Amino acid sequence: MDTTAFLARVEEYHRDGWRLALINVTTVLPAAPAAHGAQTAVEAAAVGAAPLDGPGVFEIAWGFARGGEFKTIREQIEQGQSVPSISEFFGAAFLYENEIRELFGINVTGMGVDLKGQLYKTATRVPFSHGAVKARLAALAASAVKPS
Amino acid sequence: MKRTTIPFGPQHPVLPEPLVLDLILEDEKVIDAIPTIGYIHRGLEMMVERVEYTEMGFVVERICGICSFMHGMGYCVSLEAIMNVEVPERARWLRLVWAEISRIQSHLLWLGLGADAFGFENLFMHCWRMREQILDIFEKTTGGRIIHSVNRIGGVKRDIADSELAAILAELQELGAAFKETARVFGTDPSIAHRLGGVGVLTKADALAVDAVGPMVRASGIATDTRLGGAFMYDQIDFEPVVETAGDCLARVLVRLREVDQSIDIIRQAIDKMPKGEGLPIENRPRGLPSGEVFTRLEQPRGEVVYYVKANGTKNLERFRARTPTFANIPAMIKLVKGCDLADVPNIILTIDPCISCTER
Repeated sequence: MDTTAFLARVEEYHRDGWRLALINVTTVLPAAPAAHGAQTAVEAAAVGAAPLDGPGVFEIAWGFARGGEFKTIREQIEQGQSVPSISEFFGAAFLYENEIRELFGINVTGMGVDLKGQLYKTATRVPFSHGAVKARLAALAASAVKPS
Repeated sequence: MKRTTIPFGPQHPVLPEPLVLDLILEDEKVIDAIPTIGYIHRGLEMMVERVEYTEMGFVVERICGICSFMHGMGYCVSLEAIMNVEVPERARWLRLVWAEISRIQSHLLWLGLGADAFGFENLFMHCWRMREQILDIFEKTTGGRIIHSVNRIGGVKRDIADSELAAILAELQELGAAFKETARVFGTDPSIAHRLGGVGVLTKADALAVDAVGPMVRASGIATDTRLGGAFMYDQIDFEPVVETAGDCLARVLVRLREVDQSIDIIRQAIDKMPKGEGLPIENRPRGLPSGEVFTRLEQPRGEVVYYVKANGTKNLERFRARTPTFANIPAMIKLVKGCDLADVPNIILTIDPCISCTER
């Protein structure tokens, strides 16, 4: 992602009176299961239609609200890439940024408050990392396939 | 000066749910607070991987026992937007009525907890006695006191007869009249004013800087409310956000007190305006599988909630995310705690009306 252009857009939202409503991350899976006739990601993995070893991509949406309006800035990053913090413009961003680092493993540079990984206590470390999601889907797929 | 770290929570008399704040003190002053949550993290967002979208609504409404109805509504509204389902008008009005009843019960619950925290047991009991009446209305109309399961993708599962709606309104108006005396005590008792007045002041500028939501931000003089956006039939309701200007703990109490009255009035307007008669459609079932994404915003009792739902044409959603009002208010809470006296921490934390179950999902 173009960090300079991204931060310029964020600054523009801040200047125009928008409020940070959320930062959301989606773990993008490598295949669209429906295209292979499977109705669930598990079924797709079970029939080999959704290879779970594709590249790790995350989609990040920074959501801003102003009255009844809602807009997002979207970026896709590959696993291992960093995103810049927007704490400079939106003071509450640090909580979302700590969350996406702990739950998705996305490194955020320059966070206003670094909670050093102690925000959440989860049984699975980085539960929405590509590795963790793929492992869960593979396990579900294995349990769904009965030997003939 | 020597610094001391005091862990606040996860178990504390004022906290109904587990939250940890590591309070760093110099003498009696809090100079920093580091939050830790996750003690009741249930991984509900992860469950979309194995729970089908038709069943996920029942999971979503279990995010929280206080905002149960509105979580269910937010989920269904999101799927309806993705699947282009036109919800019958009566069902939309019924959702609004239940949503406002939810707001009343949530505020009464919190006012009771608040009174208990600052040592006014009698008020606690009055608030919770009245809340029981609200739960009885929920039980009568949905079958459940806490988890209602009345929202469906495409409408609602149950209708409420016109005569029953009239009876509910009469009961609420009677409750509202009785509540005036309780509200008067909250608003005028000198011991409450002494305990909460001037404590935990969130200025208007600070409230904007930390993107606070709900009664928290309205108590700091900002007239914002997601309902003003007009969705979910609120465009046909005449109301103004309840605003206080002091920004302190007492102002946050006063906003919630006045919102109880406001919700009763909104319900009155809704019952007056909804289409009447028996056998009107209340559900329009969707066809096919959802594909697409949507952000949905609702005004829950604690403030704005944002849902993100992404569907990929399969039975399982690709992503479900709920950003709850308490999550949005944690930065404000940390800001307020910094610089306050240790003895004021419980009241400051409580007056944001924290719901940790919501926050952690």
